[in-house]
Amino acid sequence: MRKALRVAHLTPAYFSPDSVVGGGERYVYYLAQALRTAGNFEQCVFTVGAENKLFEHDGIPVRVLRNESPLASGMDAFSAALWRELPGFDLVHLHQPLTLFGAYSLAIVRSLSIPAVGTDLGAGEDTLMLSARGIELLDGIISISLYAQSLIIRYFSGLHEVLIGPVDTDHFCPAANAAYDPNMVLCVGRIMPHKGIDRVVAALPPEQRLIVAGRVYHEPYYNLLREMAKGKDVRFVHDADDTVLLELYRSARLFVQASTARDIYGTTVAKPELMGLTTLEAMACGLPTAVADTGSLPELVPDSRFGRVFANHDDLSAILRDVAAGVWPAPEAGTLARAHVVAVHGMETIGRRLAAFYRAVLAHPRRLR
Amino acid sequence: MRIMFVTNLYPPVVLGGYELACANVARGLAGRGHTVQVLTTWCHLPRLADEPAWVHRDLDLHWHIPLKSHNPTVDQRDLHSAVCSSYANTLHLLDSLRAFRPDVVYVWNLLGIGGAAMLDLLNYVEVPWVLHLMDRVPLDIATNTPAAVLGLFNAQGSALYARARIISMSQHLLDEIEMVSGITFPQGADIVPGSADVSEALPHEPYLRDGIARFVTAGAVSSHKGIDLILQASVRLKAQGLRFSVDIFGDGELPRYIDMARTLQVDDRLHFLGPRPQADLLRLYAAYDAFLFPTWEREPFGFAPVEAAGCGTPPIMTRNCGASERLVDDVHCIKIERSASALADAMGRVATNTLDLARIGRAGQRLVLSDLSFTRCLERIESALQAHGKGAWRHEAADDPALPLLAFLKHNLSVRLRFG
Repeated sequence: MRKALRVAHLTPAYFSPDSVVGGGERYVYYLAQALRTAGNFEQCVFTVGAENKLFEHDGIPVRVLRNESPLASGMDAFSAALWRELPGFDLVHLHQPLTLFGAYSLAIVRSLSIPAVGTDLGAGEDTLMLSARGIELLDGIISISLYAQSLIIRYFSGLHEVLIGPVDTDHFCPAANAAYDPNMVLCVGRIMPHKGIDRVVAALPPEQRLIVAGRVYHEPYYNLLREMAKGKDVRFVHDADDTVLLELYRSARLFVQASTARDIYGTTVAKPELMGLTTLEAMACGLPTAVADTGSLPELVPDSRFGRVFANHDDLSAILRDVAAGVWPAPEAGTLARAHVVAVHGMETIGRRLAAFYRAVLAHPRRLR
Repeated sequence: MRIMFVTNLYPPVVLGGYELACANVARGLAGRGHTVQVLTTWCHLPRLADEPAWVHRDLDLHWHIPLKSHNPTVDQRDLHSAVCSSYANTLHLLDSLRAFRPDVVYVWNLLGIGGAAMLDLLNYVEVPWVLHLMDRVPLDIATNTPAAVLGLFNAQGSALYARARIISMSQHLLDEIEMVSGITFPQGADIVPGSADVSEALPHEPYLRDGIARFVTAGAVSSHKGIDLILQASVRLKAQGLRFSVDIFGDGELPRYIDMARTLQVDDRLHFLGPRPQADLLRLYAAYDAFLFPTWEREPFGFAPVEAAGCGTPPIMTRNCGASERLVDDVHCIKIERSASALADAMGRVATNTLDLARIGRAGQRLVLSDLSFTRCLERIESALQAHGKGAWRHEAADDPALPLLAFLKHNLSVRLRFG
């Protein structure tokens, strides 16, 4: 039996109310779970927080190192304790490499001569890493979508893989006795302007109801949404845990992800939706989806039988009318959506491909060590 | 062996004994058949006629320059380049490692050339390196660099020095580094004291000729070397009616002290004679009765009093400076508390002929010709280099085309973290 490879995941924040509750943070846990399905890997997640601590998440150790950064932003956090924590690991997977955290950590990882793979989860565009080519110190890059790859590929000449996912399709699955609300439209995500929830509220026809599940990260935008929702059947759920979220996925008729590169305030968003994880989760639950033509979202719905793409208000209105009229989706759409996610974005698929990529990186180092 | 020296300054650009010792040791090791290369900074002075071809002045110097800016931002930027990281210098070091392929890198004073980044590079390629401490270089790097920046170079705590063999000229210096910065050297350190080559020294002249006590000092003319104390003590001796003179060799705050001597009305006894080459001083010491060295307590060692002792001129020196580890009170020297009154008392004992200067002078000469001889110290250094330089190092890591990129990333992060 081959010796187990020791993989350290480095991430500036961890999925917790103590840190950040976001897709990027949850992604790291998911990826570690996916790799576990491939077998023969020992993993540890290293992150940065207010104080040193150690805990386990789903059987994977999470080591929080005390933040030493003088800067306030969570993505600027870092810890020089990596010098003593990382020796002995065969490979480091550096999440958010385009942040100060990423640059600082990569400097240490590379100094320790440990091969490193990076994944941009949307935070930062550090010039030292991009235009100054610090990112070339990585041995490989995993992009979470073709769109994400397109943003970074010109800066990196090494091994590159696109892995969209993983999704826990055991957890996110249809209910045994499906009983969805034919008029329920669901949006899941942090309540922030670039999520484009306003577009869904604006397009919502009178006969449908909208549930928006997510924490408020932008109070003025939330107030705007509530103002727009007056006279419509719109409900906000801010404290949905995994169980509630699963019930929402199972109850809705349509999932909408309306993220935008230019929000309602006119602000341009640099990297909107590198990967719409909630869209994949919804599809894994057998929920047809409508996604904006923003960032990676169209990649997630390659088949119009279970997913449609909209470019503007009229497109979205038409989709919602089709749903209300029962024209779309077809009855088998949910089954198709789930089958697609299981085959392409499921834990085992992603775990197998991730393990293969790690081994390829270790087998073909970019330089002598 | 192939020995690569790294030093901030090299003659003729010198501040004191550190640079002179480096040059002497480099020549000494080259003379013993080793292949030597010195990587150091530019020289704005006329080069010495006999400067060896193996001195490479490729490095830039960011400190110890005569004109310092009054702009604190510029000053801080220079300080960063001086103690932490100078990208150009790091690259020059890398180029030298690639081209020269040393068996051992022999590191001297790093202040002014971006020491933290350079040592980090040596650690990365795992080349054996020896750090010769004649001043508190690790402490200066640590205390002048923010902790977050030090972390980039694994320079928080003692890790930066863990791979090095340490040579220190005194335990006193190691203690100071540990006490102030917390940096320790668990691998141990070789104590190689300051030494002198007095083979060219003249026989000592009779003491107290014509009943006049002739004192001398040499080095930086500044308060930390005790020049103020010498002036104040001279006032007391003059008031006592004692016959004496003090010759002060060296550069520094000459105008201030010349004025002070005039104000204190001892300008007839004190003579500021400017800097002299080391070899000239070794010939001059024989004409003096005692060498004044009321230096600050943190003096790492002090070459000048050892050289004077080697010429038969007893040093009057601060009781707990570095050199006091080697010179015994009333045997090789006269030790004093660091005060004007204590200095005046000792000078008075010389001037009143109540000390056996000849006995102390002879004992000092014997000590310098044996334990503190340059030859003996060079042998100890050579043996330390040979023992440490046996290991193979990662040539392939030095040749990695991506290494300049890693150094670039670290350098720029260090600047960003420090200055925003």
